Amino acid sequence: MTRGLWDRETVALMLLAAAMPLVVTWLLATGTAGLVRLIFVLVAAGLWHLAFMLARAQPPSFSGAFTALAITVLAPVDLGLVPMLLGISFGVVAGELAFGGWGRNVVNPATVAITFLGFGFPAASWPDLPVQLGWSVAAVSAIGGVTGVMSWRVVAAAAVVLAAGCWGLALEMPVLTAAAVVLVLLVCDPVASAGTTLGRWLYGLLYGALVLLFAVGWDGAPPVQAAVSAALIASLAAPLLDEIAISLWLARRKRLG
Amino acid sequence: MDFLASGSKEEKAGPTIETEITDQCALFAQPEDDFRVEVLVARGARVAQGMPVLRSRRHPELTLVAPVAGEVAAIDLGPGRRLSRVLFFHVPEAGRHQHDVAAAGGGDAAAVRALLLSAGLWPSFRSRPFGRIPAPGETPAAIFVMALDTRPDAPSPRLALDGREEDLATGLRALAGLTEGAVVVCQDQGPDIGGMAGLGARCHIRKVAPIHPHGLAGFQLAACHPAGPGHTVWDIHAEDVAGIGALLRTGLVPETRLVSVAGSALRERRLVRCQPGADLRALSYDIARPGPHRLLSGSMLDGVESRWLGRWHRQVTGIAEASRDDRLHWFSAALRRARRPLPIIPTAALDQAFGGVLPAAPLVRAIASNDAETATRLGALSLTEEDMALADYVTGASPRLSAMLRGMLDRIAAEEAA
Repeated sequence: MTRGLWDRETVALMLLAAAMPLVVTWLLATGTAGLVRLIFVLVAAGLWHLAFMLARAQPPSFSGAFTALAITVLAPVDLGLVPMLLGISFGVVAGELAFGGWGRNVVNPATVAITFLGFGFPAASWPDLPVQLGWSVAAVSAIGGVTGVMSWRVVAAAAVVLAAGCWGLALEMPVLTAAAVVLVLLVCDPVASAGTTLGRWLYGLLYGALVLLFAVGWDGAPPVQAAVSAALIASLAAPLLDEIAISLWLARRKRLG
Repeated sequence: MDFLASGSKEEKAGPTIETEITDQCALFAQPEDDFRVEVLVARGARVAQGMPVLRSRRHPELTLVAPVAGEVAAIDLGPGRRLSRVLFFHVPEAGRHQHDVAAAGGGDAAAVRALLLSAGLWPSFRSRPFGRIPAPGETPAAIFVMALDTRPDAPSPRLALDGREEDLATGLRALAGLTEGAVVVCQDQGPDIGGMAGLGARCHIRKVAPIHPHGLAGFQLAACHPAGPGHTVWDIHAEDVAGIGALLRTGLVPETRLVSVAGSALRERRLVRCQPGADLRALSYDIARPGPHRLLSGSMLDGVESRWLGRWHRQVTGIAEASRDDRLHWFSAALRRARRPLPIIPTAALDQAFGGVLPAAPLVRAIASNDAETATRLGALSLTEEDMALADYVTGASPRLSAMLRGMLDRIAAEEAA
């Protein structure tokens, strides 16, 4: 009869609000160039949302801005205008809008766009994330976790694995920074991540483990590329993790009859 | 919004409970209930409270009784003698109908069953899967007695049970005869509800966190006795169990139930004892705020707009009428409205709306995509519309998940019957 708060757009706005510490830190570190890049990606992604609204009666979502933010921060840098437009379009359209918009997509559109750009244009150089960006992630995940739009279980599981890696394998700071930023911008997307309690723990653990694996075994990989690849593989495995969690839950319930 | 904390207000304030028998009341059913009846009284006849007035044509053992001493004012039947409404005017002189409890008083299970069916108390049970009145011959795998209610502004069952331990004990003993399985009394964290002594190991207390939705029978039985085909589970409110006990001891059908009248369109919250099927307008007209409002039978979350108090409802909620002017500019309509319903994003809010008992995100996804097989696997058969009401409220889902679940349950039931 009366309607509550947590519909799709509130969740998207909450994600944006949670990301604000990261946005501010990033803009302070990159200055005007960063702002121009952010506006460019926002406009490119927004145009596709508008096109789908007019052509397919699919209401646009603020989640598009979150996607744009992730692409701005994590996509390869010195690409030309056209490759950038191609990558954004592919990610936003094929990763999200073609499925019916945010909430029906399988993989995070930003992950799709960034991996498309990274593997499609291997000569492009990956961004070096400033160290302070890694620290802003603590604030982002705190806001996201408290408001419930990001799963604290995913963050905690990934943090445990990364801390263990830090202690056991002496991970370097750029790797940790990239892993942390990718964690909040791509991995914690509530739609593309696992949906069950156990599944979320496994999902966070898998992401952390993949980051460690790539740090050890992928020679010469830029930290951001390794972390984004880990996010892509983890989110492709998320339905499997959910299925495992549900099977275990059903097995435990067998005895209830 | 502090509705989660409002359950304890009345204990602090010391409630005043008036008994208010409204002038009009009704036995009614919706067309989709498909309740075909034989009418046992004539229009204008004077009926004693508790006297049989309707008999089910499908299950002739099942009768409905007059909720109030009075006069039959109108009998409205739909096509195929489906019950639409039987309206009563309150006439106190008509007295109360005495049922013969000699056979059932001895504790014979079959006699108790027959008495509950003939005295109109059978519909206080709800059977899951599907959330309907149980068939007369059905034997449940477990019975859940709800001695707490966590819905916003719900009346505390402890108030309803105050001083009725003996009735409750008799009622619980009768319930134990209806099932081979457990009788689970769900209550809050406070001292144990009285009336449990000497009922044996089959009857036990389950303490429940006093936070919505944990006080809904659906999540309690999903957690320990999930309902499924061939494994029906009943639930009943503790006040109705005490009513069964009172019937067994005295032969009189309980006259009233404890109902809370609250909501944003009302000036105050009040507790009344009124008859089943009471007139919601009569219960609320003197405390209504000026302006248009709607009266719901049930809580603000799961209530349905109605003139009369519903069968399983113990709340009346008045909410302000939303403004009717929803004509939008085409552009802002395009921004807000979708050709397809907006998806539900799995957040912590959604998980908590399912009490952490069932896997919320996969279940909601299965219900929204009309995947009955997966939803059944994930425990949807233990739920009814009222269990989805909080998720509907929290996520603002449109179309409502509860409506989608009801559609799915009806379809599964039809397939099973075929």
